[in-house]
Amino acid sequence: MMQQRALLATTTLAFCAAVGVGAAHAQSCELKLGAMGPMSGGGAQWGLAMESAANLAAAEVNAQGGLQIGDKKCKVTVVSYDSKYTADGAAAGSNNFASQGIKFIIGPVGSPEATGIKPVAARNEQIAWNAAYAKDSIQPKFPLMFHVAPGPAAWSPQMVAFVKEKFPMKSVALIAPNDQAGTDVVAVDAESYRANGITTTEEYYQRGTTNFAPIITRLLASKPDVVDTASSPPGDAGVIVKQLRLAGFTGPIGRMGGPGTEEILRVCGGIDVLKDFYWFETVATEDPKVKAIDEQYRKLVGKDPVGGTAMWGDLPAARMTLKAISAAGTMDDVQKVAEALRKLPVDDPNIGKGVWSGQKQYGINQELFFPFGVGIIKDGKNLGVTRIEPAS
Amino acid sequence: MEQFLQAAVIGVSLGAQYALLALGFTLIFGILGVVNFAHGAFYMLGGYITYSCVMWFGLPYPLGVLVAVLVTAAFGYLFELFLLERLVDDHLATLMLTLGLNLMMSTGLLTAYGPLGMDFAFPVSGAIRLGPIYAPLENMIVLAICLCAIVALWLVLFRTDLGRALRALADDRAVARAQGLRPRLLFPLAFAIATGLAGLTGALVTPILSLAPGVGDPVLATSFLTVILGGLGSLGGAALAAFVVGMVEAYSSVYFGGSVGALILFVLVLLLLVFRPTGLLGREVRGA
Repeated sequence: MMQQRALLATTTLAFCAAVGVGAAHAQSCELKLGAMGPMSGGGAQWGLAMESAANLAAAEVNAQGGLQIGDKKCKVTVVSYDSKYTADGAAAGSNNFASQGIKFIIGPVGSPEATGIKPVAARNEQIAWNAAYAKDSIQPKFPLMFHVAPGPAAWSPQMVAFVKEKFPMKSVALIAPNDQAGTDVVAVDAESYRANGITTTEEYYQRGTTNFAPIITRLLASKPDVVDTASSPPGDAGVIVKQLRLAGFTGPIGRMGGPGTEEILRVCGGIDVLKDFYWFETVATEDPKVKAIDEQYRKLVGKDPVGGTAMWGDLPAARMTLKAISAAGTMDDVQKVAEALRKLPVDDPNIGKGVWSGQKQYGINQELFFPFGVGIIKDGKNLGVTRIEPAS
Repeated sequence: MEQFLQAAVIGVSLGAQYALLALGFTLIFGILGVVNFAHGAFYMLGGYITYSCVMWFGLPYPLGVLVAVLVTAAFGYLFELFLLERLVDDHLATLMLTLGLNLMMSTGLLTAYGPLGMDFAFPVSGAIRLGPIYAPLENMIVLAICLCAIVALWLVLFRTDLGRALRALADDRAVARAQGLRPRLLFPLAFAIATGLAGLTGALVTPILSLAPGVGDPVLATSFLTVILGGLGSLGGAALAAFVVGMVEAYSSVYFGGSVGALILFVLVLLLLVFRPTGLLGREVRGA
């Protein structure tokens, strides 16, 4: 009996040791993935979306025992940086990541950040995925810079044609920050409206503005049918909506810029205040497989995702980065990883099939383009998000 | 004409908010000689305390505002008494202390409440409309409370012994001490009044605009700009300058747009510093 117990104990110990060694081998290295964007302030939802996307992609591979890189399985950890929607914030973030040996960055978000990070990340040899809508978000001279989703030039003509059916309009006033993040988007959006026979006026504000009442008075002087908040951060857009309604504006409010409806609803005071609204989504958010991402997140990360639907659009970039590192078999040779990334098909388990794009607009084919969505709220009722296939 | 009148309504409303903030800011500088870089953080704290009282504890909004004023005033009192008071004559140290407090409060609120904006609205909505001109009810209520607070502050400072003592310390600290006034007792009170005013403004204004981490930063910048324009340490100057800033911001934004509007205000302050360094009602150029 004693011998049997000893044998059982020895076998158990040996098994535990083997499993332990196996597990130790599986996690014998660590890959740090950077997540960057505004994690506070009006654009926080977008930066937190980047972080959540990186968290989920990391948790998925960790649940499989780690990311296979060559003959090693590596644990993936996420390091976040609040680049505060500024060029200097993103440049400092790139250097901060470099000091920690981080070569792969999910983010940053805005055009000022993209402008700041491009030269610094190139010098630091880092792959980064920005979500900026600037006219030079990605450029051939920065081949390690990738684009999470296309800017409005790719989807705004189709979107205007779609929303014009829902909200007949003859004139639109666009409002956005007076930096590159605002002016680039408004210029493209305005062109798309005009191409659909709609007249436009443009209004800009200094980032950091908290009270929009005087600017709204000016904006409404042109008596527009629609006001479009373009690429204003969701927090700002929420205040603009609130003050537009207070000023007596009853027309539809549009948003041909980054997603953020959840935050806008929270800040403006709810769907009854918003009333008539249309907005852009980078992916078709009504698809059950897309919606399932949040549940996957809760299961694997153990908490609620932050960032709303923007996180869903950022997820493919994070997943593909890890896939490319595995395919390249290295986390040190960034050029090799970039090469592997460019060869990957655009096919996400949740979002579906997309294409590499960007050659026409930026001269470099390093942008993910999936079927996108246009959301409609009419008479205070959310009519959902319609999936739109990109025009060929 | 519509735009002109509407800009005036907006300007007065903005001016009242700026006045409350600037009075607190200039009170601290005038009496203690301290530039309080945590002023915007106290504004933010006032907003978050009111939010917590209303949304978490179910208190009526006016009671939430009162709690916010008391808590921010008490916090300011304790900060001055236990930290600032020890170094009150070392200007660099007080600058670093208030800057540090600003960072700690901002980070603390970010950690406690998260980075996103709060779902927090003023309990009264709607607007008074006279043809094309409108005045939001919430702004009118805030304007009335601000004007009452300004009058109350004036009465405290100019019609009470406490006010006389505070003004005496501001005029000449050494002589005031020789007369038996005790800065260790009075400075924390002055600091508490100022931070309470910042808390009151935050409690009233954040539900109208937005409550999120970072909303205190522009407030600090505006307060600073206003008191420079009015003359650092001058209470009357701060109140006058607040309405000037509100009007300039409103008219320049309405007639020249948001970008040029912001620029005009800075140009105005720059010109004033060149041609009248004491500010609108400042008596002398005083270093911090």
